[in-house]
Amino acid sequence: MRDRIQEALKHSKADYTEIRIEEKETTRVAFRGKDLELANANIDKGGIVRCLIKNKGWGVATFNNLDDLLNKVDQAYQCAQVVSVPEPIELVPVEPINQVTTVTMERDFRDVSLAEKKALAERYNEVMRGHSDKIIDTQSFYADTFTHLTLANSEGTYIEQEKPAVVLASLAIARDGDNVQQAHETMALPQGFEYVLDKDELARKAAQKAVELLDAKPVKAGQYPVVIDQMLAGVFIHEAFGHLSEADFVYENPQAREMMTLGRRFGKGILNVYDDGSIPNLRGTTLYDDEGIPGRRNWLIKDGVLVGRLHSRQTAAKMGEKATGNARAINYRFPPIVRMTSTAIDNGATSFEDMIKDIKLGIYACDAYGGQTQLENFSFSSGYAYMIRDGKIAEMVKDVILAGNLFTTLENIDAIGNDFKWDNAGGGCGKGNQYPLPVTCGSPHIRIQNVVIGGE
Amino acid sequence: MDILTQLKKQAEQVEVLNLQNEKTTVEFEANQLKTCTVAETKGTAVRVIRKGRLGFAASTDDTVMNKLAANALESAAYGDEALFSFADPKPAPIVQTFDKTVADLPIARLVEIGKEILDIVMPVEPDARCNISLERSITSASIRNQKGLDVSYQTTPLSIGLEIDRIEGDDVLIMYDQLGTTVWEENYLEFARRLVEQLKMARTITTIKPGKMPVLFTPTGTLTLALPLSYGLNGKEVYKGTSPMATKVGEKLFDEKLTILDDGTLDGKFASASYDDEGVPRKCNTLVGGGVLKGFIYDLKTAAQSGVESTGNASRGLFNPPEPSFTSLVVQPGNTALKDILAGIDEGILVENVLGLGQGNIISGAFSNPLALAFKIEKGEIVGRVKDMSIAGNIYDLLKNVSAVSREAQWVYNTFYAPYILIPEMNVAGKN
Repeated sequence: MRDRIQEALKHSKADYTEIRIEEKETTRVAFRGKDLELANANIDKGGIVRCLIKNKGWGVATFNNLDDLLNKVDQAYQCAQVVSVPEPIELVPVEPINQVTTVTMERDFRDVSLAEKKALAERYNEVMRGHSDKIIDTQSFYADTFTHLTLANSEGTYIEQEKPAVVLASLAIARDGDNVQQAHETMALPQGFEYVLDKDELARKAAQKAVELLDAKPVKAGQYPVVIDQMLAGVFIHEAFGHLSEADFVYENPQAREMMTLGRRFGKGILNVYDDGSIPNLRGTTLYDDEGIPGRRNWLIKDGVLVGRLHSRQTAAKMGEKATGNARAINYRFPPIVRMTSTAIDNGATSFEDMIKDIKLGIYACDAYGGQTQLENFSFSSGYAYMIRDGKIAEMVKDVILAGNLFTTLENIDAIGNDFKWDNAGGGCGKGNQYPLPVTCGSPHIRIQNVVIGGE
Repeated sequence: MDILTQLKKQAEQVEVLNLQNEKTTVEFEANQLKTCTVAETKGTAVRVIRKGRLGFAASTDDTVMNKLAANALESAAYGDEALFSFADPKPAPIVQTFDKTVADLPIARLVEIGKEILDIVMPVEPDARCNISLERSITSASIRNQKGLDVSYQTTPLSIGLEIDRIEGDDVLIMYDQLGTTVWEENYLEFARRLVEQLKMARTITTIKPGKMPVLFTPTGTLTLALPLSYGLNGKEVYKGTSPMATKVGEKLFDEKLTILDDGTLDGKFASASYDDEGVPRKCNTLVGGGVLKGFIYDLKTAAQSGVESTGNASRGLFNPPEPSFTSLVVQPGNTALKDILAGIDEGILVENVLGLGQGNIISGAFSNPLALAFKIEKGEIVGRVKDMSIAGNIYDLLKNVSAVSREAQWVYNTFYAPYILIPEMNVAGKN
């Protein structure tokens, strides 16, 4: 294959050509309620050719048939010929990389029988179903994916990577009359089968939360001081701030560029935010991105001030900055675009007790249950939440949706916890048509003043 | 050997789906033509029932058909008991989903359409930033099974998506609309003109005092109400017992002005076809008639689990087995002219778009969303855009009493057709 890829690259008439070949095998087991929905294996194999003609633009061809790479290179080149950009597209110069990586898993999931995987998902399903007779529906999901990825370009880069991933998810739905509530717990890591064993606690927690939510009252709409847990804080910084740090959002948009001017104050001095693809064994780990750039730590906010952003080679060249290792694609059907890897609010100094002790009436919101941002406006629902009354965690409340303006909200963060945690949740990030991309979010507890909470 | 013939020897029932797709995409980013993509996908998915148990496997690698067959059989060895059998060959309605005009659209013409759209937007809003994605596919699908079912069809989905971003100081407005069709549409620029009209309307910013008020949902805004409802109308949720409507067929749950259908036989719509994704004829199914719950949507598996017939609503991608899914969800237009509805509102809001559609506990019918694009209605007139407000409620309460359903209705993203719906009183939250 290596020879054929290199021959096709040599054949290309474009200024820059890149070929990515992906071979992926996935095994999934899914229970829903008492029924097994799925226990199977899928095979996905395909490739993408991307050609750049500098004063024209990008042409892309994706395919399943790998027999005729030369023809695919021609096709991508023809596509690029159609395009016409007003200014030539440049790519920031980088050193070519030659690297073949292999992984070893403590227990390779490819050697584990489907029977054992099914038994595992079934066991976690039974933990939920057996928790309470109020649990009327469950979803217990196991998946493993082994990907062999080859990336080569006309500048001499050739990288082969092996990427394992295991995912567990438990969703419990509880019902009491017309009152239906749900809670979920997920985890995912680029590791072996050993990681998903003995996770009864995960399933139990989902069931327990769903049942507890039946008795929770809807939160009263209004403005509150809000303490958010590590998971929600991580998702918040990823969704509400991280996406604005992706340079493709600003590089051709003067207003957005002004909004994201480096040096602009984004929060109090206690706030520090980074994205880092080089931290090993996280779901967002990106040792090499899909342009072959090594992952590294990129500080985005330091001491409350915006100091950096995330790039592809194209956005970096356009803005006169360095490549950051953030050009990623979910699979061979897509070209890479600027994406996050593992994004975090850095650890602070305040203990959880100190954070809540002065709050007379507030909300402790935990876990993220979806959300959306539109530039600086965001909306997130928390999985579950509690009132804070007179400095103490009080009754559980439901339907807590945080909404607001990013800049005001970041400015209103007035305490950062000393209990940093990476959240190894499954799922992933969506941008354009590309979903789900594996990413990781991390944070300590944080406190935000004057948050608008929606509700009836 | 053909995989159907091969597997028939090893299993009681076999179903083979072949999918082939050729897609051409032209993308404008920030008003500039940036990328052109040609994508070819080809794959095979197999379902088998062996010793009464269901198995599934799929592959895009056509050099490993033996492994695909082995994977399907292994999946069946651990699969759940199958209570259903694959589709019987049956006659189906004729539905137009293929159009040579669309199939033959050259890349150059797609580029031209993108430029025509820019010519509509830019003169009105020179500072706007448009992202336009023009996508034309030719999809072929064939479904065969051991009963002799052998159906195949071609569709030509064309979608033109337009996102307009406008940033003025701290005011950010992002608007999106899309044309979707499988049959060439002469008025292909209509959606872009409508979006520009909204953009103009959104220039005036005004305020409204939060509190209880009438809320008028536009066809796009109606998605906020329809999404939780569609969960409850899915036969799978009914079978699982999570639908709040599970046991209520025949009961009057909603205002009598509401009639809701799912119609898989409409020409030109993305999910329309003669057959669904497991070879059952597509149909038009009434789900709510005059406020009374009439039924749910099912595929073969969930229908058998529930002791009913499939409604022809199976839908699947290559890598997943079928699930019941909506085709075109249609809320029937009502009797009141939009201008009369507006005239009757002294003070209220018009909701076009919300943020975070579908977030929260929508199974229970609840929604709670900030308003992404909404307007103030004052003495029957739309007077300006309101910001930083949110709505929340439960559709099973709100839709019991609807003040008006408009005569005018509109397609939203090709899969949803709805009129304007007026809710007499809802809480609208915001900063005072």
